[in-house]
Amino acid sequence: MTKVYCIGEGLVTPVGSTVKEVLSAAREGRSGRLFDKGGFSGTSFFETIAIEAARKAIQGIEITPRTGLVLSTTKGNVEHIGKADISLAASALNIADAIGITASPIVVSNACISGIAALLQGVRMIRSGEYDEVVVIGAEVHSDFIHSGFDCLKALSPEPCRPFDKDRQGLNLGEAAAAMVLSARKGQWEITDGVIRNDANHISGPSRTGEGCYKCLRYVMEGVNKEDIAFISVHGTATPYNDEMESIALYRAGLSDVPVNALKGIFGHTLGAAGILEAIVSMAAFDSGIVLPTKGFHEMGVTYPVNVSAHERPAKGKLFLKLLSGFGGVNGAMVFRKGGAL
Amino acid sequence: MENLITELKLKIIDSLNLDGMTPEDIDDNAPLFGDDGLGLDSIDVLELIVLMEKSYGIRLDSPSKGKEVFRSIAVMAQYIADNRTK
Amino acid sequence: MKAVSIPSGANLTSLYRELVGNYPKFFKMDTLSKLGFLLTEMLVGDEEGRFTPREDRAVLVFSRNGCLANDLNYAKSMEDFPSPALFVYTLPNIVAGEISIRNKYEGETSAYVLEKYDRPLIDAIVRQAFQDRITRDAIVAWIDCPSDSEWTAMAWIETK
Repeated sequence: MTKVYCIGEGLVTPVGSTVKEVLSAAREGRSGRLFDKGGFSGTSFFETIAIEAARKAIQGIEITPRTGLVLSTTKGNVEHIGKADISLAASALNIADAIGITASPIVVSNACISGIAALLQGVRMIRSGEYDEVVVIGAEVHSDFIHSGFDCLKALSPEPCRPFDKDRQGLNLGEAAAAMVLSARKGQWEITDGVIRNDANHISGPSRTGEGCYKCLRYVMEGVNKEDIAFISVHGTATPYNDEMESIALYRAGLSDVPVNALKGIFGHTLGAAGILEAIVSMAAFDSGIVLPTKGFHEMGVTYPVNVSAHERPAKGKLFLKLLSGFGGVNGAMVFRKGGAL
Repeated sequence: MENLITELKLKIIDSLNLDGMTPEDIDDNAPLFGDDGLGLDSIDVLELIVLMEKSYGIRLDSPSKGKEVFRSIAVMAQYIADNRTK
Repeated sequence: MKAVSIPSGANLTSLYRELVGNYPKFFKMDTLSKLGFLLTEMLVGDEEGRFTPREDRAVLVFSRNGCLANDLNYAKSMEDFPSPALFVYTLPNIVAGEISIRNKYEGETSAYVLEKYDRPLIDAIVRQAFQDRITRDAIVAWIDCPSDSEWTAMAWIETK
């Protein structure tokens, strides 16, 4: 099967606008969840940051009719609801136009796993042979719509979030844009596998047995030696149910002793951007030889054992896994392997 | 109290979209959650928290507090009678 | 290939009573989820071994407007008291989750948003989804539901 590589990356986040800056913030535990929009005068902040991230990712890469675009977001321009056409399809077309992509854009809106779902879509498009490159962009911006919703679900933490901690009280919302260019041309990182599975249990509560997340782990572990895993970048929203569910799934998959980290303490939960943002930061951390710390984590607060990295530690291995879970019962897992080496 | 109980049942049927149910179908003392009673779930708890604030001016801060109050219609009605601000 | 559709503006409650009748969660769903739920009933209602958990069937839902109708309903509730029961349906993939819960489909579920009903593009995405090593077939739906009274809703089963 065609190997698929990441050949370009771009980030726009409140803690930095280059991979290097963002990695430094994550290492030093400097968090930043919302942009300062003081100077912004355009019509769509969402599209603006998505385009900016994509432009960074495509530097030096030629856009042709065989370049695809996959957009990952949950709510796009929802802050303008009732006042404009907020269809994610319209946003995707605007973004495609801005960066010169003529192929029909595809939006993947699969709740909080959209980032992995979009990357998986991109990987499959390259493997189909119908595209040479696929630009995958994840973006989400803050809005009263999203904030009031998570607030009425009692899911927001009154303090900075604490993934896997015994005193965790919920999530923080964040905003960001992140983009990757996928190609069969050899790059530094290969995406070797990816999967989506449904709990088939409840639309807003994760499975008590971690069913879908476990099935995702079982699927990707078919092609992975456990000893090669440097770390697992979990979803780790810091809601009581999510983190507990992930601990069960990791335990069932026999991965309780593998180093784990969660990055929501730095960026907050960036929803449709989370998968791509956290994957790019994880690649950069691995390249620097480290497993990033889990900001906000102090004392274990889940039932099953998890090897949470409270502090930075050396990364040993050849690859990392990225996990996400979301509303609608969806779960996703993806394998990022350095250099594509076996 | 009887009036409040009937009013409450009608509001619950409406806000939780309990199709085809009438106040007579809901036992005052039966559990609202779990398989024995109405079989309400976690989203219903949150929606009942909204109902309490909207209709009776009562703020319940957490779903766990909600579950205490929402044990049965009778418990809920008593709590409303004791704490309502509108 | 078996394909089904529900005409715009049809009475969904009557259709539910005719096809199902014993799934009260139906009444909590948004219009998009009700449509996906009913389309699936029409497709697999007489399938043998239904309700046995399975991982080899994907649910792939396409639209232009996602869950816009329900987004507008939730936005209206924000003026007063934001409704959690409405907010949980403000994602285009919840319909796929409802179909999975009802039918015990534990495989891949995804929601895609496209500029228009582009059948060749939808077919290509479905073919690409068959790259999953376990998926053997997929319930594919185009459900565009910009309001609670007007929609396009059709679904079919695609086999690997």
